[in-house]
Amino acid sequence: MQITKRVSYERDTKIINAASFTIEREDHTIGNIVRMQLHRDENVLFAGYKLPHPLKYKIIIRIHTTSQSSPMQAYNQAINDLDKELDHLKNAFEAELARHSGSQSRQY
Amino acid sequence: MEGVSYQRFPKIKIREVRDDFMKFELRETDSSIANALRRVMIAEVPTIAIDLVEIEVNSSVLNDEFIAHRLGLIPLTSERAMGMRFSRDCDACDGDGQCEYCSVEFHLRAKCINDQTLDVTSKDLYSSDHTVVPVDFSDSSSGFDNSENKGIIIVKLRRGQELILRAIARKGIGKDHAKWSPAATVTFMYEPDIYINEELMESLTPDEKREFVESSPTPVFKFDENTNQAYTYDEEVIKKAESMGKPGLVEIRAKEDCFIFTVESTGAIKASQLVLNAIDVLKQKLDAVRLSADTVEADEQFGELGAHMRGG
Repeated sequence: MQITKRVSYERDTKIINAASFTIEREDHTIGNIVRMQLHRDENVLFAGYKLPHPLKYKIIIRIHTTSQSSPMQAYNQAINDLDKELDHLKNAFEAELARHSGSQSRQY
Repeated sequence: MEGVSYQRFPKIKIREVRDDFMKFELRETDSSIANALRRVMIAEVPTIAIDLVEIEVNSSVLNDEFIAHRLGLIPLTSERAMGMRFSRDCDACDGDGQCEYCSVEFHLRAKCINDQTLDVTSKDLYSSDHTVVPVDFSDSSSGFDNSENKGIIIVKLRRGQELILRAIARKGIGKDHAKWSPAATVTFMYEPDIYINEELMESLTPDEKREFVESSPTPVFKFDENTNQAYTYDEEVIKKAESMGKPGLVEIRAKEDCFIFTVESTGAIKASQLVLNAIDVLKQKLDAVRLSADTVEADEQFGELGAHMRGG
């Protein structure tokens, strides 16, 4: 019996610096944001994701990079950047919430 | 080798905050982030809801599973939910998922003794944990206007009918069953950019200008001033401009990186807390899909082990 890992990948045999990442138990929520973040990377030539079948709960992300980088590096870099962006978003939100409730209470 | 960071720096501005409602602007980020936040708020922020019902006596007109279904849909205050464990992951209980760390117990006893119909409501549910109780919908600010809030009606009993049950509430996410979704509605829209052609505007008579301002169902413009702080807009203004023989007077475009979110919560979690929890859940999901070091090492071509093998 095979235990499938959460994230696995296969390099493309015909194209150098290309790989397909298979992520189990994820959907458009993660697929779209990782794909959009990969588009911002200059070393990424191609980035796309798909759900092979709507009833099967997994996604495949395909990445081609230049020789300056590798698909794994681009993938990890994208996830790290997204993590930092969400951290920034959380801090901005908490600061704005504190500022907003602070100014509200001063009105009374 | 560290790459350059391609991070974005989103900005937030809050327009309105209430306990169960929130409206805010999100700027300088991509629509995929906005959509991911929306999806996570609806489907993956955990809450607590009744999941297992043991009925001892039920002589009401509704059958057992009907009442159990209704009990599941009652929103419970779920501040504890983020820190709680899922029942299936809990190792403290013997596997039946009913220990104090992963579940909350409720019980309900109702019997109708007089001729008047007895309403069994969510207020009759007694919790073992005072932080997890059915949400109280009475508006504290409305004063004497509304009659006493009775809670959500579960079933109505006639004389002689009785209902005794014990219920276990567990943590879950909206993806599993909609009873665990903390969001009533979450929507976002793009902020509109409204361009008014000044030259064409000059060529209108004052009467025509007034007509133009009034033609928009929601007040977007003020006479003699052009304000661009519109929240909503409609095509009426454009149609009016065309009908007056001056197409191109107003151009309305959507700004691609500014989103106006409207979040309404069911009361299980506060609306502002819902957004914070959604960001945390999204971060957890991203952490879970990182490439682990051994997956990369084991790869023949790209991993460092592979590089060694090739003599790199």
